[in-house]
Amino acid sequence: MTSGSLIAADLVIAVLAAAGWLGGGATAAARRRPLALGLATFALVATLARAITIVALARAGWWFAAEKILIAAPLSLAAVVVAGPRLLRAPRDIRSVAVPLLFAGYAVSSALLVTVLHGYPASAGAGLLAVAGVAAATAVTWRVLGPRPSGTVSRTVLAVGVAALVTGTGLAVAPNPASGVPHDHDYPDTRTVGEPTRRVTLTAGTTTVNVSGRAVAAWAFNGQVPGPELTATVGDVLEVTLRNRDIERGVTLHWHGYDVPNSQDGVPGITQEAVLPGQEFVYRFTADQVGTYWYHTHSVSDVGVRMGLYGVLVVRPAPATGVDVTVPVHTLAGLPLPEPTTEPIEAGTPVRLRLINTDSTTHRYALAGTSFRVAAIDGYDLHGPTPLVDTAVLIPAGGRYDLVFTAPAAPVALFVDGRAVYSTGPVSTATGEWPALDPLTYGASSPVPFSRFDKRFDLVLDRGLDLHGLLPRYAHTVNGAADPDIPPQVVRLGDVVKFTIVNRSLVVHPWHLHGHHVLVLSRDGRPAIGSPLWLDSFDVRPGEVWEVAFRADNPGVWANHCHNLPHADAGMMTHLMYE
Amino acid sequence: MRKTLVVVSLLLLVAFALQFVFAAVGAFTKPADDGAYSLHSLNGMAVIPVLTLLTILLAVLAKAPGRLIGLAVLPLGLVVLQALLAMFANAFTDAAGASTPVGLTIAGLHAVNGIVAVHVVVGLHRGSRELANPAPAVPASVPVREGEPA
Repeated sequence: MTSGSLIAADLVIAVLAAAGWLGGGATAAARRRPLALGLATFALVATLARAITIVALARAGWWFAAEKILIAAPLSLAAVVVAGPRLLRAPRDIRSVAVPLLFAGYAVSSALLVTVLHGYPASAGAGLLAVAGVAAATAVTWRVLGPRPSGTVSRTVLAVGVAALVTGTGLAVAPNPASGVPHDHDYPDTRTVGEPTRRVTLTAGTTTVNVSGRAVAAWAFNGQVPGPELTATVGDVLEVTLRNRDIERGVTLHWHGYDVPNSQDGVPGITQEAVLPGQEFVYRFTADQVGTYWYHTHSVSDVGVRMGLYGVLVVRPAPATGVDVTVPVHTLAGLPLPEPTTEPIEAGTPVRLRLINTDSTTHRYALAGTSFRVAAIDGYDLHGPTPLVDTAVLIPAGGRYDLVFTAPAAPVALFVDGRAVYSTGPVSTATGEWPALDPLTYGASSPVPFSRFDKRFDLVLDRGLDLHGLLPRYAHTVNGAADPDIPPQVVRLGDVVKFTIVNRSLVVHPWHLHGHHVLVLSRDGRPAIGSPLWLDSFDVRPGEVWEVAFRADNPGVWANHCHNLPHADAGMMTHLMYE
Repeated sequence: MRKTLVVVSLLLLVAFALQFVFAAVGAFTKPADDGAYSLHSLNGMAVIPVLTLLTILLAVLAKAPGRLIGLAVLPLGLVVLQALLAMFANAFTDAAGASTPVGLTIAGLHAVNGIVAVHVVVGLHRGSRELANPAPAVPASVPVREGEPA
C-alpha cells in the first residue's frame, strides 16, 4: 500500500469512526438501543483500527503522522476510555449513554478536522481549539439531553473549554515571526550579454482562435496558440520584446526550465513589474543551455497560461538534422492541443519528438510502432538511455521529455492520454495498459556530485485553512502556511542546498524551482539509481517524499512553487532567496 | 426566537436547493474548467455552513426539544462529510489525473449525501414550524433517518 493510499484510508476510517460515534449517540438519545449499540461498536472498532494506519503513516515519515499522534491519538483515547466501558455495561435505558457516545464523536470529529484544516505542523493552537470544541459541544449536549451533571463536572468542563479556547486562539492568531519576500521596487538589471543575434517581438492580446473547427476565445502571443516557436542555436543572444496590447491583468515572460539571470525570469512583483496594456519589456539572454523549454506568462499565470499565453523555446547545439518535432500539449477551453498531424517519414530518418506538457496536470504519452529512447528530460541529456518498447511516459505539468528513434518502415504514432497527436501513418495500438517509465531507474547512473549539504529545507505540501486577507480560504499550503506568508528559503551563493519535498495532501503537486535544475537524490527513501536526473518540474504524488539537491549558483529571488497553477494561486508558492 | 428558527431553517432549505442548481450549472458550464463550480463551492463552503451554525444556535436558544436540536446539528456533520467526499472524489485519480471507478463511486456518495441532507433539513424546517405553531392533538411525526453512516 502506498503512503498516498494510506493517507486516504486513514481519513476514510476517521470519517467512519466519527459518523459511527455521532450516529450511535443520536440513536441512543432516541432510545434505539440495538442500533445505538451497533453503531457505537462499529465506531469503537474503526477508532482502534486507526492505530494501524497511524503507525504505518509514522513509519512512512513523521510529517504524515505528527498531528495524528500528538492530537488525534489522545482525543481518540479519551473517546475510547469514556465511551468504551459504557458499551460493555450498557444500561437498560440506553439514553443515559448518549452523552458519552456523543462526546466520543466530538473528540474523533475534532481530531479529523485538525487533520483536514490544519494538520501540519502539529500545533498546540490547533490541538487546544479542538479540545475547546469538544468541551463546548459536550456542554451543549448535556444541557439539551439532561440530566445536568454535578456542579463540579460542569464547572470543570467550562474551565477546560474556556482555557483551551483562549490559549488556542491566542496561539493560532499569533503573528508569524519572519515572513515574506521583499518585493523590490527597483529590479536590478544584471544583463551582461552582448548584441542580440536573434530578435523576436511577442505581442500579447485577446483574440479568437480556431480549434478543431470551433472558434475559441483566447489570450495569445502574436494572435496564435501556442505562441511562435522560438528557436536558437548555442551561442545566439536572444532578444525578445514583449508587448501587451490588451491583457488587462498584465503579462510577463517566464522561460520555464531555462536558467536565465534573475532579472530575465519574468515573475511579476519579484523580478519585474507586470507588463500592462500599452507597455513593453525587453528580455535578453544568451542561448547557452541546449534542450527543450517553453515560455509562458507568469502574471495571473493560472488564467493566463490556460487561456493560451505560452509557446515553445528550443535551443539546439547545431542546426537540426533529421526530423525534429515539438509537441506542446495543452487544453484550451476544454479542447486538446495540438491538433493531430500526420506526416510520412522516410525509413531510417532520425526523429526527435520534443514532448511538452503546458497544462496544470500530468499527461500520459505513449509512442507506438517503434522502440525509442528518452534522450533528455527537462532539457538535460540522460546518460545511457536504453531502448524502450510499449512503455508510456508520464510528464508532469511543465515538464519536457525528448524521445528519439530511427523511423521504421511501418507507421509510428504518438498518443497523449489515448489520443493520437502525431503520426506517420495509421496506427491502431491500444496503449492504455502500457506500464509507465520510472525515470529514477532509467539509464546509466553516476555518483552524486555533492559530498555535503550546506542548507537543508523541508517543504511539506498540504491543504489548510488560511486566515490571511479578508476571506478565509482553504489554501494549498507549504509547511502549514500559504503565500505570501511562507518564509523564503535563504541560501548563500555557492551553497549546496537539499530540499526534502513531502506531499501530505491527496493530490499531485508538480514542483517547479525557477532558475535552477535540481538533481534527484531519492524518492520515498529509495535512491535514484538511473541516469542523473536534473529536473525543473517533477510530480510529487500523494504520500511521496522527494529529496533533491542543487548548487546555489544563480543569485536572485526565485519562485519555487507548485506548477499546478490553480494550486500556486491558492497559496502553494514560495521563494528561494540569496543572502 | 421560534419564528426566527422557522425563517432560518427555510433559508437553509433554500440554500440546499440552490446547491443542486449550482451543481447543474457547474456540470453544464462549457468549457468545463475549475471555475465552473465556483458558485457551488461558495454556497457549500460558506453560505450553508453559516446558516447551519445559525440554525443550531437558534434551536438551542428557542429551547427546542432534543430531537429538533439533533436535526439541526446533523446537517453540520453532513456538510463536513460532503466536503470530505468531494475531496476524496478528486483525490482518487490515476497517474495522469483522470478519474477512477473508486473516485466516481465516492463522487456518487457526494450526491447521495446531498439528498440525505436535504431530507434532514426538510424535517428540521417542518419540526421548527410545528414548534412555532403547535398543532393541537397531532403528534409531530417526521420521517428522518438520523446518523446516516454514509
